[in-house]
Amino acid sequence: MQSKLRNLVIAVLLGLTSLPLVVMLISLLLDTVTTTRPGSLVPDRFTLDAWQFLWSAPPGRPSIWITTFNTIVFAGCSTLLLLAVSSTAGYALARLNVPFRKFFLAGVLVMHAFPTVTLIIAIFLILQMIGLYNHIGGVILAKTALDLPLGIWIMKGFYDTVPWEIEMAGVQDGASRFTVWRKLVLPQIKPGLMALGIFSVISGWSEYILPQVLAPRNDVQVLSVYLAALINNDTHFDFHVFKAVGLFYALPIFVIYLFFQNKLMTIYGGGTKG
Amino acid sequence: MSASARLGLVMLAPSLVIVALLFLAPVILTGVFSFTTMTTGTGISASGAYQIDDVAAGTLRSQGVPAEILDRLSAELFAIDDTTLAAARQAGAAEALVSELATGHHGESFPTRLAFERFLKSLSARPATTRDLKAASAPFRRSIVNTRYESRETFLAALDSLDLRLDPATTAKIEDTAYTGWRWTTANYTRMLSSAESFYRPLRTVLYVGATVALFNVGFALVLAITTFFLPSRTAAAMRALWLLPRILPPVLHVLLWKWLAWDNGFLSTVLAPFGVASRNWLLDNSVNAWIFVILINGFVGASMGMIIFSSAVRAIPVTLFYASATDGASTLQQVRHVILPQLRWPILFVTCYQTLSLLASFEYILLSTNGRPGTSTEVWALAAYHTALSNYTGNLEYGLGAALAIVLVVIGLIASTAYLRLFNFATLVPPPRIEQ
Repeated sequence: MQSKLRNLVIAVLLGLTSLPLVVMLISLLLDTVTTTRPGSLVPDRFTLDAWQFLWSAPPGRPSIWITTFNTIVFAGCSTLLLLAVSSTAGYALARLNVPFRKFFLAGVLVMHAFPTVTLIIAIFLILQMIGLYNHIGGVILAKTALDLPLGIWIMKGFYDTVPWEIEMAGVQDGASRFTVWRKLVLPQIKPGLMALGIFSVISGWSEYILPQVLAPRNDVQVLSVYLAALINNDTHFDFHVFKAVGLFYALPIFVIYLFFQNKLMTIYGGGTKG
Repeated sequence: MSASARLGLVMLAPSLVIVALLFLAPVILTGVFSFTTMTTGTGISASGAYQIDDVAAGTLRSQGVPAEILDRLSAELFAIDDTTLAAARQAGAAEALVSELATGHHGESFPTRLAFERFLKSLSARPATTRDLKAASAPFRRSIVNTRYESRETFLAALDSLDLRLDPATTAKIEDTAYTGWRWTTANYTRMLSSAESFYRPLRTVLYVGATVALFNVGFALVLAITTFFLPSRTAAAMRALWLLPRILPPVLHVLLWKWLAWDNGFLSTVLAPFGVASRNWLLDNSVNAWIFVILINGFVGASMGMIIFSSAVRAIPVTLFYASATDGASTLQQVRHVILPQLRWPILFVTCYQTLSLLASFEYILLSTNGRPGTSTEVWALAAYHTALSNYTGNLEYGLGAALAIVLVVIGLIASTAYLRLFNFATLVPPPRIEQ
C-alpha cells in the first residue's frame, strides 16, 4: 500500500517534469503536417505545405539535398577517420611498449576532459592559414581531432578487455604483432567500434558550431547550419516549416535512437561531453 | 627499440599528427594570437601594408604629433619643383608642357588634384585629352595620403620625399600608425581587465555553470536515478529513454522546440492566454526569464549523463542493504538519505567535476537560444569570446581580443583536467603491457 502511494507520487512528479519534453516532441510530429489557427494549439487541417523545402529551395538557400549530402559526407568521413585513427592508437597505447606510454595515456585523459570548444578561434585561424577554411575536409579534420581523445580512450578500454591469452597464442604461432592485431584482436572489439561509430555519427550529424564557424558557405553547408540560418531569418518566420526541416534533419538520429537505445545508454554514461 | 615499440609508434603516428595540428597547435596559438592585434582589418598574414588615412591622422593627433606635420601628411598637395619636374620628364610627359611649367611656374603648389588639373588646362601647352591630363598631373603629386605602400622601404621613401625633416621619434610614430598589418601587443589583456563587462561575465558564467550543474546535471539527475530505481523496471526504462532524448537531439532542433514553447504565439503564450496573461516572447522579454530558459535548455540536455551514471551506481548497491534497512523500519526517504546517497559520493563528485568543466566552455545552446540577449545579460564568458572573435554585428572580428578571452578558459581547462587526472586515480587505469616483444 505504502509503495503504491510512493510510486504514484513518483509518477506524478516525473510526469510533470517530463511534460515540456513530451509536449515539444508531440508538436514536432504534429505541426509538420497540419496547420493551427492563431491562438489555438489544436490542429485544424492536414497539409504538406511545410514540406515544400524538399522540392523547391527557398530563395538564397542551397538545395536541401546538397546540404543533406554534405552532412552525410561530414558525419560519415569524420566517423570513418575517427574509427581508423583511434582503433590503431588505442591498441598501441593499450598493448604495445610504446616509449612514453604513460605520458601519452595521461595526455589522452587530460585532453578528454579538456573543453575543446575553447580552441575554435585558433582552429578557425589555422584553417584559414592552411587554406582549408570553407572546405568540408577542414571541418572533418577538426571534428575528428576534437573527438579523438575520447575515441582513443574508449578503444583502449575495449582493448583492455581482450584476453592476453589470445595475443600470446598468436605470437607463439609466429605471427607478428601487427597480424595478431588485425586478425585476432580487431574482431574481438567489434562492439567497441560499433559503439564509437554510433556515437560519432550522432555527434557529427548534430554538430553545429564547427561547420558554422569553419565552413559556412552555401555549397559546403550542412543541415544544422541550414536549419539555424532558416530560423535566424526573420522574414519568413514559420514554426511549421522549421519543424518540418528539423524533423527531416533529425530523422536519422531518431532511427538510431530507436534501434540502439541500450547501447546509447552505455555510451552517454561513459563520460562524453555535455 | 623493440619491434612492438616501432609498431606502436607507427600505429600512433596518425593520431599524433592530427592531435598536434588541431589540438596542441590551437592551444599554443590561442596564447600567441592573444598577444596580437589581429582583426579582420589587419588580416592574419604576417606582412601588412602602410597607409596614412583619416583614421591614422586622428591617432597621430592624439599621440601629440604637431599639427603642421599632420596637415602636410594628410594634404593632397601638387607642387612644381625640380624633383617633380624630373619625375614628369621620366614619366614621359610632353616636353613643351614640362618646360612651360619649369620656366613660368616653378615653385607653385596646389592643394587638390582638381585645382592642379584646372591650372594645367589653362596652360598653352595643355594636355589634349582627359587621359593625358591625368597622366601629366600624376608625377607632380607630393603627397602620401590614402596611398597604399606594400613595403616599409617604399613607405619611408615616400615619407622622406615630403621634406618634413622629421625627428626619429616622430617617424617611428608615423610608421607605427600607418602600418595596417597586425603586431604584437599586450593591450588585449588590459582591455579585457578594464572593460566593465569583465566584471559581469564571470558572474554570469558562475551562475550558468553553478545553477545548471546543481539543479539539473546533478540535482535532477539524482531525482531521475533514484525515483526510477523504485519504479517497475519497464516504466523506469521508458522514463530513462525519454530523458536520454534531449542529449541525442541535435542542439539546433532542441533549441528550436524550446523557442516554439516560449515564442509570443507559441505554446506558453497560447496556454496562458485564457488566464489573462498577455502573450509575449518568454525567452527574451526580460533577463530573469531568459536565464530560466538558458538553464532549462542546458539542464534538460545535461541531466542524462548523471542519470545514467547514478542509476548504475544505485543498482550496484547490494539489495540486502535495502532489505535490512526496511526491516529496521526505515522509510523510503530514509533509505535514500542513509543508504543510497552515501554510496553515490564518488559518482556525484565525478559528474560535478566533469560537467562543470564542459559547461564552463560550452556556449552552443545559449548561442542558439538567447544569443546573449536581452542586452548582454546572458552572455557568458565563452560566448563573449565567440562573439568577439568569430561573429558580431559590426563585422570587425577581433581575433586577438577573442583569443585573450579564450586563453582564460583554455588555462582553466588545462589546470582542471590535469587536476582531475590526479583526483580520479590515473595509475590504476594504466597497467603495463604483458608481452615484451
